[in-house]
Amino acid sequence: MKNIKYYAFPSTAKEAVALLLNKKYKAMALAGGTLVAKTLPDTVETYLDIRNVPIKGIKLQGGNLVIGAGATFDEIDRSKLCRSWAGGVLSAAAAKCSSQLIRNMATIGGNIARPHSFNIFPVVLLGLDAKVRLAVRSGAKLTDLPGLYAASLGLRPGLDSLITEIIIPAKTRKWRCEFIKLAKTESSWESYIKLFFSLEKKGRAVQSRICVGALSPKPFRALSTEAAIAAGAAPQDCAAAFAAELEAARAGEYRSAAASSLLRRFLEAVK
Amino acid sequence: MNNKNMIEAKKGFFEITLTVNGEPLELAVKNGEFLLDALRRHGWKSVKKGCDTGDCGSCTVLLDGKPVLGCLVPAVTAHGRAVTTIEGLGTVRKPHALQEAFVAAGAVQCGFCIPGMILSSKALLDAVPAPTEAEIRKALDGNLCRCTGYVKQVEAVKNAAKKLAGKRRA
Repeated sequence: MKNIKYYAFPSTAKEAVALLLNKKYKAMALAGGTLVAKTLPDTVETYLDIRNVPIKGIKLQGGNLVIGAGATFDEIDRSKLCRSWAGGVLSAAAAKCSSQLIRNMATIGGNIARPHSFNIFPVVLLGLDAKVRLAVRSGAKLTDLPGLYAASLGLRPGLDSLITEIIIPAKTRKWRCEFIKLAKTESSWESYIKLFFSLEKKGRAVQSRICVGALSPKPFRALSTEAAIAAGAAPQDCAAAFAAELEAARAGEYRSAAASSLLRRFLEAVK
Repeated sequence: MNNKNMIEAKKGFFEITLTVNGEPLELAVKNGEFLLDALRRHGWKSVKKGCDTGDCGSCTVLLDGKPVLGCLVPAVTAHGRAVTTIEGLGTVRKPHALQEAFVAAGAVQCGFCIPGMILSSKALLDAVPAPTEAEIRKALDGNLCRCTGYVKQVEAVKNAAKKLAGKRRA
């Protein structure tokens, strides 16, 4: 951080993007700073504090849940809207992040800006089919979670664009979901595995999402397991399919066994 | 971008304006310096340097009323904001209800974690005047104490909440 020459605090997303794109400044946006403040690349010369950019609220818009990228983990944990959405999985996930002091600072936008194994929200938002809105040179761009981390996006949020909103579709409002973090201690940032389960049943499974994090920087959906659930396989067979999928992803024996047991329990609990 | 919204480093320092414990100040903070180090360098020694990685909570200060980790907040981020350290809460002669409660409950042993713990408790009581034990434990989960088992601190926060509620009624 010793190479910083300027400190800027833009008041709009447009202003922030203009600064990020201005080669003179070599700027980087920092939100809560909990992940990157200590590891700011030496090439960065302008520190862009985005606290005045109006991207903080949590609201309902057209039936969708819209979370401003600047919303902190604490705000998401306490938000009545988040607590009532998808069984409160967003708030439950936010509450599992590190300690209260970190939750007061860390933002959802910062958490998804870069793919990282131990980040919480990429796994949850992948499972909830969330879309991400970015402020870019030409205005705005909407993408989904896999798209955000795909090279084809051609953007580096925080360096040439700014995440402004996370949109969680209306269809997920009543989904039954569960987020599990297996870690050495509750407040550990590092974890052995992160799991997001979701299942809707009307006689048989009508939709399911089985998402896995902490094994690789980008979370992934266990598609074979989801197919087994859709085909009406028994919980123990779905769990076996999940264990096989995790082993193929080199999760290791402990993580595969623990995660598949947790999935079996979840499936058995959903009547 | 308006020049008002940008500060330039001069000879390795940023000039920032902020309020510390209610007093408006202009401070020169070093390039790359974190709030913890800047505050200590300017004399607020109650802000303790523990892990310096955001794990222990010894460096907790209130930034615009919210408890944050001084070791993870770049000092320049405090520009235009209000910082509260334990020095701003009460004095030896006129302690804050939380400070009194911590002493009375025997919640202080070596004392290194206590400024941070009291500031986290202050923010909690400002937001939730009558917190449950679970709320107290959650609010303090980032403030590590290696001397005690947290029982006395939780008791102290409960007692302070009762005392402050009594003062509000009076």
